[in-house]
Amino acid sequence: MIEHNPLYQAMKDAVSQTFENMAFTEVIEHFDQDYQIPEDQLAWTSLVVKDPVPGEIFMAVNKDALKELAGSMFLLDEDEITADKMSDILHELLNTVAGLFMTKLLAENQAFQIGLPVTGEGPLPEFDGDSVSWKLITGDEQPVQLFITGAPLVALND
Amino acid sequence: MKRIIVADDSATARMFIKRCLQIIGLGDAEIIETEHGKDALAAAKEAPTDLLLTDLNMPVMDGETLVKWVKSSPKLCDTPIVVITSAGNPAKEAQLIELGAHRVINKPVSPPVLMEALEAFLDEE
Repeated sequence: MIEHNPLYQAMKDAVSQTFENMAFTEVIEHFDQDYQIPEDQLAWTSLVVKDPVPGEIFMAVNKDALKELAGSMFLLDEDEITADKMSDILHELLNTVAGLFMTKLLAENQAFQIGLPVTGEGPLPEFDGDSVSWKLITGDEQPVQLFITGAPLVALND
Repeated sequence: MKRIIVADDSATARMFIKRCLQIIGLGDAEIIETEHGKDALAAAKEAPTDLLLTDLNMPVMDGETLVKWVKSSPKLCDTPIVVITSAGNPAKEAQLIELGAHRVINKPVSPPVLMEALEAFLDEE
């Protein structure tokens, strides 16, 4: 069971706030913390945290769920939904989550800088000991997984 | 009819902002979408603009540079600018206000927050 420390809570709150506002769905902890999104259904993106500490934030979702989300957000039929639109939604979700996460984690006046989101190719990277994961699920029972890597970013927890 | 420029590299973010503008009663406005600050600046030079809504973190020209350009131009300096960003904090907000931005609001943007931020401009009509 993942401890609900400030780092964990900051990310969970950031994801909840973002999905409730942009995708109109709530997000809670996944009931199966061993669940992995199948590789052939995986869509993920990442962005670099530049300041005040280096690190990287990853977000992974289910491709079909993302397609559904793209359709409802842009009011498009399934055949009108392009890979670019799906990537753009994932990027904007992560961009918003990352900003809220850093805001919630850092002291009120502490500035931070994040990079632009980049679409992930293939499987997610292997995460080592200097990483933390969040396994969440939306109100529509779609998995949302977050990872942060980089010892200095993870150490913001301390 | 109001003329509003929305600068954000994300089509999703622009769509969200447009939806919020519609909800708060600006659905009739002419909304010009641009993907970065350079195109937003070009659009601002084309015709008088009632409001410029910009992201901060964009390729080609970021939002902070856009604010500096607009506020240093005698023709454009009166254009109200609202920055909508995911990288906002009080220190950054103070810096942007100092540069000439009228308001800084954090993503995810919502109609009530946008309404409150734009009240001064909406009240003019």
